[in-house]
Amino acid sequence: MTTPANTAERMLPERDSRRQFRALLPIIAPFLTLIVLFLFFSVTTTTFNNPINLNNILVQISTIAILATGMTFVLLTGEIDLSIAAMVTLSGVVSAHLFANLDLREPFTTVVPLGVATLLGFVSGFASTKFRIPTFMVTLAMSLIASGLSIGITEGRIVFDYSEVIRTLGSGRFIIPEAGINLRVLTILAAICLFIGFLVLRYTRFGRYIYMTGANKSAARLAGVDTDMMVIAALTICGFTAGLAGLANVGRLASAQPTVINGFLIDTIGAVVLGGTSLSGGRGGIIQTVGGLLIYGTLRNGLDNLPQLQTGAGVFFKEFITGIVLFVALIVNVLLSGRASRDRT
Amino acid sequence: MTDQPILELKHISKRFGGLQALDNVDFDLREGETHALVGENGAGKSTLMRILSGVYAEYEGEFRLDGQPVHLNSPANALARGIGMIHQELSVMPELSVAENVFLGRQPLTAFGTIDWRRMNRVAAEELTKLGFPDIDVRRPLEQYPLGIQQVVEVLRVILSGARVLIMDEPTSALSPSEVDHLIGLIAALREQKRSIIYISHFLEEIMRVCDRVTVLRDGRKVATLRRDETNMNHLIALILGREINATLPTAAVRTSEKVMLSVKHLSSDAFRDINLEVGAGEIVGLYGAVGAGHFNVAKALFGMYRIDAGEISLDGDIFPRRFSARYAIKRGVAYATESRRKSLFLDEANYRNITLPHLARIGGIAPRASRELAFAAPAMTRVNVQPNEPKSAVGKLSGGNQQKVAIARWITYPPKIFIVSEPTRGMDVGAKNEVLGILRNFRNDGYAVLVVSSEPETVLAVCDRILVMSRGGIVAEMVNSDAVNKDTLMRLL
Repeated sequence: MTTPANTAERMLPERDSRRQFRALLPIIAPFLTLIVLFLFFSVTTTTFNNPINLNNILVQISTIAILATGMTFVLLTGEIDLSIAAMVTLSGVVSAHLFANLDLREPFTTVVPLGVATLLGFVSGFASTKFRIPTFMVTLAMSLIASGLSIGITEGRIVFDYSEVIRTLGSGRFIIPEAGINLRVLTILAAICLFIGFLVLRYTRFGRYIYMTGANKSAARLAGVDTDMMVIAALTICGFTAGLAGLANVGRLASAQPTVINGFLIDTIGAVVLGGTSLSGGRGGIIQTVGGLLIYGTLRNGLDNLPQLQTGAGVFFKEFITGIVLFVALIVNVLLSGRASRDRT
Repeated sequence: MTDQPILELKHISKRFGGLQALDNVDFDLREGETHALVGENGAGKSTLMRILSGVYAEYEGEFRLDGQPVHLNSPANALARGIGMIHQELSVMPELSVAENVFLGRQPLTAFGTIDWRRMNRVAAEELTKLGFPDIDVRRPLEQYPLGIQQVVEVLRVILSGARVLIMDEPTSALSPSEVDHLIGLIAALREQKRSIIYISHFLEEIMRVCDRVTVLRDGRKVATLRRDETNMNHLIALILGREINATLPTAAVRTSEKVMLSVKHLSSDAFRDINLEVGAGEIVGLYGAVGAGHFNVAKALFGMYRIDAGEISLDGDIFPRRFSARYAIKRGVAYATESRRKSLFLDEANYRNITLPHLARIGGIAPRASRELAFAAPAMTRVNVQPNEPKSAVGKLSGGNQQKVAIARWITYPPKIFIVSEPTRGMDVGAKNEVLGILRNFRNDGYAVLVVSSEPETVLAVCDRILVMSRGGIVAEMVNSDAVNKDTLMRLL
């Protein structure tokens, strides 16, 4: 019930600059966190803020960034994909297996694994929407299928042979000496993924549908949006990016390992959510994901550089400290962006 | 039945800000009595019910139970004193068994502290038999039983929690006719057990069947308390409305328009059955019914959002498939504004984005530009007079009436063949109401076909050319809206 008094109060012109600042806060918040972390590690360590290490951070988050692009789509529709870590493994194993054991060459060793991961993403989405099973469960099952396949294909062995394209993706460098550019191909690939994701989500009709599906499913349906198709599309995209990350990962580690690195899943969801993309859908985006990735990368790398954690008992506490800092960073982010307030229904 | 009241209210008044919701109302209930409470929306029934059930602790006047003054300050407190409430929306747990629902929150325990299933099932079965329902398998999940049985289970739970007085709010609005007969049987069984019932309902016919006495409220005052043999339906309607009734029963209605746009034949689902209706171009048709009559589900079904079991929908000659999506409906020219703005609008999003969403493909191709979207949305907002007219600010910042205008503005640029609006003016002040109704009239004058679905007689009477009345899932009457048709007519038909 609005009484005349508080309507009038609400109509009072808040100072413009202040209002604008407040509106931007949710987007700025992760970057503020980033600056604080950056300054903190610059002061507490000697090794953190030299250019080589900063480039290191980019390399470290590149694989996660590719995964996070697809995950952003999925989280925006209000769904989740728990199968990405297994997809990374499967895609790498399929590629190396085709190359080393079946003697196939490009384009098969990139196209087939990407196709497999994309298809499995599609299957998850289709099964979830068609049979009304939460994506949480469907992708959990898919995760087991993918990791089981990975082990089955290689009979548990690590494969060390893979194509030149895969090597370039994972550990190649892009160097233009005159311009002083020396970047990992992987980093450029990650940037391209994020940029395409950004354009699609921000400027296309499809992107709008993705947001609206997550923001209010019934309203989206009432406006004629095929929300099931959006969920399927998001999971398919996420399957594709996981496949791509899988290929790059083989090149980076110089082998295809059939065991699933669960860190990929946790790190990806952690980074996306830390950036401010809501787990319940409809809010966030690639900009936020970039913020989250940088925070996450800085945090991990910075803690690695902290002298107190490099020797003695500190070594054993690194994981613990990372957890605590992540915890605090999440809370600060939520408070800063004002997501904690208002509607409590 | 004894004449000694077990519950007595004297000189009850309740005020909300400037509104006198109840003014010096007396009410009493005897043991084993079924006492109906009737009145129009806003007459004070709900307020009185909330005082009786302990929801409102602040009021003036005296409340006596068994002759002792009491002051109830919560529903739990009321239940402890023997007053239980059966809400229109049942609070059962569909996945749990019948017996578990009967004992919800107070399951009998064994000596080991585990749930005593045998005792629970046995007692539940015995009690249901006593109420006249021996055939219910208490171990089956409650959701396997129809709504009428679920209601019986809820009643039993409240009784076993110690209620001697049951307040039933619109218990039959969502029940099928045979289930209503069950309920009436249940009430007879409760009367045998000397329990008293306060029965709130729109359905006067039903009240004349089950109630011993009726209390009529109007504008917060008690108009009369009458024994059943002292009154009849026409008399009750006159008391409720406060004037002599002049309901001429409508004769067969004809369409007021030449060209049929929407034609619905024998449409059936679990919420409605055998619905036949036509809406012509340049005509506003009203689908009116009490809450729970199934008319809102008909609206959803026409937009592909409610599953139908039988029947045919055709629009301008196009026959729709049995299953179709909202997308399909929009493409064929159906526009729909729901009764719930929260469900149909993105409150955090800008007005213009809410307006363009259904038409995004046509407006902007694969990458819609904000400038083109604004060029689409701004004139639409101006036409329905959204205030303040700021296409870029969030819908959630607008008043309810203006949100509704945004919901309507969606559909005015590309004219739909049929515009379905559920509850177009709910919760609006008079000014906004008239504005929205004016917009609907303009639609009609521009040659649109409009279907207004509502539970507010004032709304359908104000804008509709033709009115169909729905009750318990079926259409019970159809009439041309004329001076001869008024609220009395509609109320009699419910």
